[in-house]
Amino acid sequence: MHGVFELSGVVKRFGERVGLDGITLGADGAGILGLVGRNGSGKSTLLRSVAGLYLPDTGSCRTFGRATRDLGPGELQRLGFVDQHARLVDWMRGAQLLRYVSRFYPRWDAALESHLVAALELDLTQRIWRMTPGNRQKLALVTAVCHRPTLLLLDEPLSDLDPLARRAVLELLLERFNSDAMTIVISSHMLRDIEAVVDRLVCMDYGRVTADDDMETLRERYAEWLVTSASGDLPTDWPEDYVLDARGAGHRAVLQVVDGDVAAFSARYGATVEVRPLNLERIFPLLVAPVRPAVSDSTFRDTAGVAEARP
Amino acid sequence: MLIVVDPHSGVPVYRQIVEQVEFQVAAGQAGPGSELPSTRALSRDLGVNPMTVSRAYSMLEAMGVVVRRPGLPLVVSETAAGAADGRLGQLRSLLEPVARAAAQLGLTEEEAVAEFRAVLETQAATAGRGEDSNGSG
Repeated sequence: MHGVFELSGVVKRFGERVGLDGITLGADGAGILGLVGRNGSGKSTLLRSVAGLYLPDTGSCRTFGRATRDLGPGELQRLGFVDQHARLVDWMRGAQLLRYVSRFYPRWDAALESHLVAALELDLTQRIWRMTPGNRQKLALVTAVCHRPTLLLLDEPLSDLDPLARRAVLELLLERFNSDAMTIVISSHMLRDIEAVVDRLVCMDYGRVTADDDMETLRERYAEWLVTSASGDLPTDWPEDYVLDARGAGHRAVLQVVDGDVAAFSARYGATVEVRPLNLERIFPLLVAPVRPAVSDSTFRDTAGVAEARP
Repeated sequence: MLIVVDPHSGVPVYRQIVEQVEFQVAAGQAGPGSELPSTRALSRDLGVNPMTVSRAYSMLEAMGVVVRRPGLPLVVSETAAGAADGRLGQLRSLLEPVARAAAQLGLTEEEAVAEFRAVLETQAATAGRGEDSNGSG
């Protein structure tokens, strides 16, 4: 049982559309989990389910050990949530909104609020409806962290920010994480930004989890192989199931591999293999299509059933 | 000790940290007793997850490169600093891709070694003092 949140066989439908299609996923203890996937893959639905904003049609969803339909003040005091596109009370000024939100939280940290407002260069005298989308997003983040939650759910918190603001926000998240050990779940398309800060990565597609792994392990497992053969008889089709994608044939080929065995491969084809690492932007397309989990890798426990069920 | 990583290179970040510390220690740029930045400080400076930094530090400790003392910064161990096998190990890992390329180009061992010697001589001539300070692996 996972202490921070746990979804088990969660299905959530919106009319004909399936938002979550049997999700089993959980988190314990401190960590920064990156949630990636195409638009409409179910990331927001997952985050909203963990926060109790959506209730599952079937399956169970628990946060802090409690069914999300029963979350009360005790749990909500420990939860921070930044919704996509930061829906805020538009007619208020920034300072008014912070004062309003702070009243809900006995543990609101005013010193932290001032620090964040200064670090993010927010003008709190402005009416929210006049703020740029980036400033609204920064303000939403401040409203979500000053009560020092132990679980922070961030849905696309970087989407409206310029590169410098994204960096400032990520630095503040690391600072918060270094200060209060907590669980942060961050969904984003900004793969370059999140690949540095997350320790775990979950990829979703069609409402299912297609990959769930330690970020560093992903960097070890996925690679590009530049294959050179003196004899020039490299095939176009590779029988090895760890070859996910391939270009070229004859003397040179480029393969995208997961858990490849260089020694066995070189021996079989009499080829030289230059192994090149892949960053998250290049690993991502390989994660969207599910991959058979490595048998020895226990971090794949949550996705094993899902991966097998996919055609 | 200055540690720099590229979190977008696809190389596991903990390995980049381990390799850099090993290189600086092997090269004698970080002598015995040199302090490493704290996990939090390095996490902040590099903009990477602190758990990644702790993982690198634990590995360096297990390898005997650094020593952990309760409540104090990690330091380079007496035994690891400047060990000759450490230096050769560093060089070997850099030479491996070169050796592969030499084989692919169909060069003989003598030709490849002669070329390496020529490059070494050019380096020594340009560096003047012969001691290069490029420690980024």
